[in-house]
Amino acid sequence: MSTFSGDETAPFFGFLGAAAALVFSCMGAAYGTAKSGVGVASMGVMRPELVMKSIVPVVMAGVLGIYGLIIAVIISTGINPKAKSYYLFDGYAHLSSGLACGLAGLSAGMAIGIVGDAGVRANAQQPKLFLVNLGQTKIRWPRDFAGNNSVILLQEQL
Amino acid sequence: MSSSWSRALTQISPYTFASIGIAISIGVSVLGAAWGIYITGSSLIGAAIKAPRITSKNLISVIFCEAVAIYGVIVAIILQTKLESVPSSKIYDPESLRAGYAIFASGIIVGFANLMCGLCVGIIGSSCALSDAQNSTLFVKILVIEIFGSALGLFGVIVACAAHLDHNQIISCC
Repeated sequence: MSTFSGDETAPFFGFLGAAAALVFSCMGAAYGTAKSGVGVASMGVMRPELVMKSIVPVVMAGVLGIYGLIIAVIISTGINPKAKSYYLFDGYAHLSSGLACGLAGLSAGMAIGIVGDAGVRANAQQPKLFLVNLGQTKIRWPRDFAGNNSVILLQEQL
Repeated sequence: MSSSWSRALTQISPYTFASIGIAISIGVSVLGAAWGIYITGSSLIGAAIKAPRITSKNLISVIFCEAVAIYGVIVAIILQTKLESVPSSKIYDPESLRAGYAIFASGIIVGFANLMCGLCVGIIGSSCALSDAQNSTLFVKILVIEIFGSALGLFGVIVACAAHLDHNQIISCC
């Protein structure tokens, strides 16, 4: 069994980064799912045939939770002070990666929720708006990819 | 040692972090489940005044919220088995510190992920009840959205269990 090398309290920041990644992404995913879901349910009373098509914002919000999950697992499995020395630098890098991913996911989720809610209600009245709604919710994704790419860059420095 | 956050953190016993993590994992999960249940339940009861047929089917929304609380209980039980007492000379060893931080983070992850999941499922369950009262074909379609929402609680459990508890570092724990 190899000895512990690196700074003692660095894992605190690393694990907090993993927690931030998952928790904030879940907040965004929950907000997006709930807000769009309420819109879909309200719209479905009048136009039940459009409900299955209008589930798209909900799916996109769910994917945000998966981003947070992936980053949290990558960060947590990277904290292994016995196998590889874990200094404060690594801890802070993991913390910032987790916060970047999580807060980007939170903002993307809120945007998806609000746009999705408005979009599904508008789509019920004007079918031409479906692609506009789709485009607007897809634009929210790059915000979260930016968070994920900074995670991968910071990881490479380790 | 450098004068930074590390200095303050090494003075805090890892038992504190681990215990608070376990408490948060169950407490905040149950908070989320309760919040979701009351949001769903009040809408369900109100909608059932005019459409009593919806009551038995829509109890499934309440069950989804309850599942969130069960996730929190399961993870809290798993985490507290990882908490063992060590001789006081070894409390501030790096392994013990790391184990304390890991349990704390697992607890936060499960707690707050389940809080968000419970809220989400509750809000969608309330809309499901209201739209089911108007048009009974909508129940299954809105249930699909609820399933997406309840996956968020599972994410929290997966990260807490798979990522934090597999290494045998935790066995030599505080």
